[in-house]
Amino acid sequence: MPDVNITVDGKKVTAPAGTLLIEACKTVGIEVPAFCYYPGLSLQGACRMCLVKVEKMPKLQTACTTVISEGMAVTTDHEEIHQARKSMVELLLGNHPLDCPVCDAGGECELQDMTFSYGASESKYTEAKNHKEEQQWSPVVFFDRPRCILCYRCVRVCDEAMDVAALGIQNRGSGSVIAPNMGDHLDCEECGMCIDICPVGALTSGAYRYKTRPWEMNHVATACTHCGDGCKTTLGVRRSETGMEIVRGDNRDKSGPNGDFLCVKGRYAFDFANRTDRLTQPLVRRNGKLVPVTWDEALTYVGQKLAEIRSQSGGASMGVIGSNRTTNEENYLLQKFARVVLQTNNIDHQRTADFAAFAAALAGRPDATASAREVFDAPAILLIGNDPTEQHPLLAYQIRNNVRLHKARLYVVNSESVKLRRQATLFSQIPSGSEAAFAAFLAGGDVANGANRDEWNALRDQLRKETGLVIAFGSELRGASIASLNKFALSVQGAKLICLADYANSRGAADMGVYPDLLPGYVPLIQGSKFKAEWGTLPDAAGLTLPGMVDAAKSCKLKALLVVGANPVFRMKLDPATFANSFLVVQDLFLSETAAVADVVLPAASAYEKSGTFTNTYGDVQLVKQAGEITGTKSDFEIIVRIAERMGYDVAKLVPFGSGSRADMGQSRGAQSGEADRHAVWLEAQGLELKMNPFDPTAVFDEIQRLVPGYQVSRLNLMAGNDQHTRLDQNGGGAVGDPALIQPANDGLFSSGSTGRYSKTLNTVMENRNRVEMPKVAAD
Amino acid sequence: MSVIKDISEVAKGMGITFMEMFQPTVVENYPDGPGIFKGAKFQERFRGMHVLQRDENGLEKCVACFLCAAACPSNCIYIEAAENTAEKRVSGAERYAEVYNIDYNRCIFCGYCVEACPTDAITHGHGFEVATFNVGALVYRKEQLLAIKPAQMGDNAVFNKQEMETQRVLPG
Repeated sequence: MPDVNITVDGKKVTAPAGTLLIEACKTVGIEVPAFCYYPGLSLQGACRMCLVKVEKMPKLQTACTTVISEGMAVTTDHEEIHQARKSMVELLLGNHPLDCPVCDAGGECELQDMTFSYGASESKYTEAKNHKEEQQWSPVVFFDRPRCILCYRCVRVCDEAMDVAALGIQNRGSGSVIAPNMGDHLDCEECGMCIDICPVGALTSGAYRYKTRPWEMNHVATACTHCGDGCKTTLGVRRSETGMEIVRGDNRDKSGPNGDFLCVKGRYAFDFANRTDRLTQPLVRRNGKLVPVTWDEALTYVGQKLAEIRSQSGGASMGVIGSNRTTNEENYLLQKFARVVLQTNNIDHQRTADFAAFAAALAGRPDATASAREVFDAPAILLIGNDPTEQHPLLAYQIRNNVRLHKARLYVVNSESVKLRRQATLFSQIPSGSEAAFAAFLAGGDVANGANRDEWNALRDQLRKETGLVIAFGSELRGASIASLNKFALSVQGAKLICLADYANSRGAADMGVYPDLLPGYVPLIQGSKFKAEWGTLPDAAGLTLPGMVDAAKSCKLKALLVVGANPVFRMKLDPATFANSFLVVQDLFLSETAAVADVVLPAASAYEKSGTFTNTYGDVQLVKQAGEITGTKSDFEIIVRIAERMGYDVAKLVPFGSGSRADMGQSRGAQSGEADRHAVWLEAQGLELKMNPFDPTAVFDEIQRLVPGYQVSRLNLMAGNDQHTRLDQNGGGAVGDPALIQPANDGLFSSGSTGRYSKTLNTVMENRNRVEMPKVAAD
Repeated sequence: MSVIKDISEVAKGMGITFMEMFQPTVVENYPDGPGIFKGAKFQERFRGMHVLQRDENGLEKCVACFLCAAACPSNCIYIEAAENTAEKRVSGAERYAEVYNIDYNRCIFCGYCVEACPTDAITHGHGFEVATFNVGALVYRKEQLLAIKPAQMGDNAVFNKQEMETQRVLPG
């Protein structure tokens, strides 16, 4: 678009034609206040706060609805404007209660800020304020009507950005009131975007209300630990008797790949970490019962026992099950521990997508994967299988808003009538289980049954005409199907792929080689000379897969099993007696079904209680920072290092500390809450800090970056909290395994594997959705 | 003549002493004086031990807004907030302070908390006898800081049920 020149307060501004005046002002650092304007949402022009003086226009104009035109001369700082804004604030405060000391938004309220900047300290009104009782719309959404300033942000975000439209407006003029779709309560995705976007405290969060105040908390920006989308979330933490308690999850740091978005899990389901039934003491089975012991006792026992089994029966009799929720560093360390210390390749995790086949298909193809951010800008998107609205809320959000704001074309191929069909240019419902056939057809095959022939042909022709197509596929496509999809992608110019997996670090577990036959970076065992040189030793034979280990346990061949952050007894519906003849060590947050039958249970820290990195399902690696703290738990990283030490292994060989670049001595260099410690980031990025701590994950990340070429991302950007897209093509060849090994969890919007089961908020929301309909009451 | 000069100097000095003997006493007879303050006298503005005030219904004025804690330069105020319910109503607003501690080891009696308080809940009383041999005793809990309930309210005072059952004796 051609550029337009305007003058704002004497400053020359050049912006593309079609830019809104309020945005053009922002580019030269002139802030025009507004309540109802929100970037990315439709224009409202309701609050009249953004009034500016435009030369040759008779009245003050709203900057949020005025499009710039050539030669426009704008004044934003003028007595007349100040007067107008002052009156607007006075009108808003006419009925707004002055309960700021009690209100949750106090301290981060836009009306408070505006009143400070533009408002008068007194009011001309003598009328009593119109009080209305607070309403509870859902377990997590509360509405305080008198506080509402009718900016309609919540209504628009729910309708436009979320495509839920659970909020609406009743009545007109000064009688307008925001109302939920079910009369007295909400039936929605409970994402809490309305609460986040509310400029005042009219909509408040059930999980956070009246607990604390914004300035009383520390704000830690980290990655969400639930689904595979890897949204950046900011956790508000405060001191408690158990350590540090997380009191709020929100999105004040909008710098992540998710921008404004967070779903119900990211916003509220941090509460599993605060449960009182968290394990805080190691348990050892004595006389058939698990009894609490000290860490020293438990670790020594595990170390001795594992060393004994290794010397008696060899490494092949031992197994390790990794997690979808531990950090990259922990996954890397775990597979290194298995291969180097236990001397076995019997290591696997609960696979929820076929990343090994994905890596095999994409080997040597640069830029073949799309990041989460790219989905928002892609000109066209093809979605095969999966239901992103339920399973990948961020992906659904990006797709919806890409279609809405950029007019992207969306093609949906699914066996179910998924909600995203509403945004689709073309929606093709295919019989369940025929996704693989569709992938084969795309690659150039022919349709076996005639029913869909014309539709599929037309779709394929149309897709081939696209450029920059992003293809996202669920776990329905595995093994050879991914290869055929890649073959099709090669025929479309600039096509990129996304493989969708279930959990926060499923991709990381795959990337870090938690596989019996693949090393970190999908390097097959036989090509592992680089790793052998680095580690000194590497077992040659491929190990047992997860079902293989279970079978071995059943036939008493598996003498020891270490389970880190997984619950195979529950997930694979195993008989609890399966591991009766194995020495079972479980590291977990709760006494899960697997932990209940273990010989030793070690209480682990959750992902919100440790540092490291996560890789989301798109391959974007992000920093995970410690927010909460539960006294008595240790990170999986520390536990693994300590077990290795008790087994008599030289820890310096496992974690290359002492040679790297960071001294984690707990000092803070004056970083304010919520802000990156810039000095530390700089030192870290320059490799200038000493690493003195064997429990320092960055020491392992050094090794990962050295050995896994795809992870050679900018350390500076990563440490500063930005997401960095890793490259799959620079990694090893991958492998096409048995498709039956892929067991997706099919979690919905309100469930999140074992952590979801322990989240009180998610459970209440689910119960609330299933409850009987309440009698309808007139809204007012 | 120096002797006369010396004597006159002594007489001049002693004269003041004798004159003062007939002036009224200005020192306060603390701690042997009358009244609850044992003879100590205060200006109205004296900043002593804090008192957490109650409203006319006997409910606590504090709504746990944390502004006193934020204003406190010595970081001596610790608050935990909780929500009022129909069964247990402690303050007049939605929220109340479940825990309200002032650490008198740290407090410098600057009065910023009183200035910051939007509900006039925290005020300075005139209590000053805080000295103790036990450092732990200097952390005052809400129960020790709260004003007594307005006795004249009698049955009209709104107290929560729980408190009615376990009526505490509060220090004056």
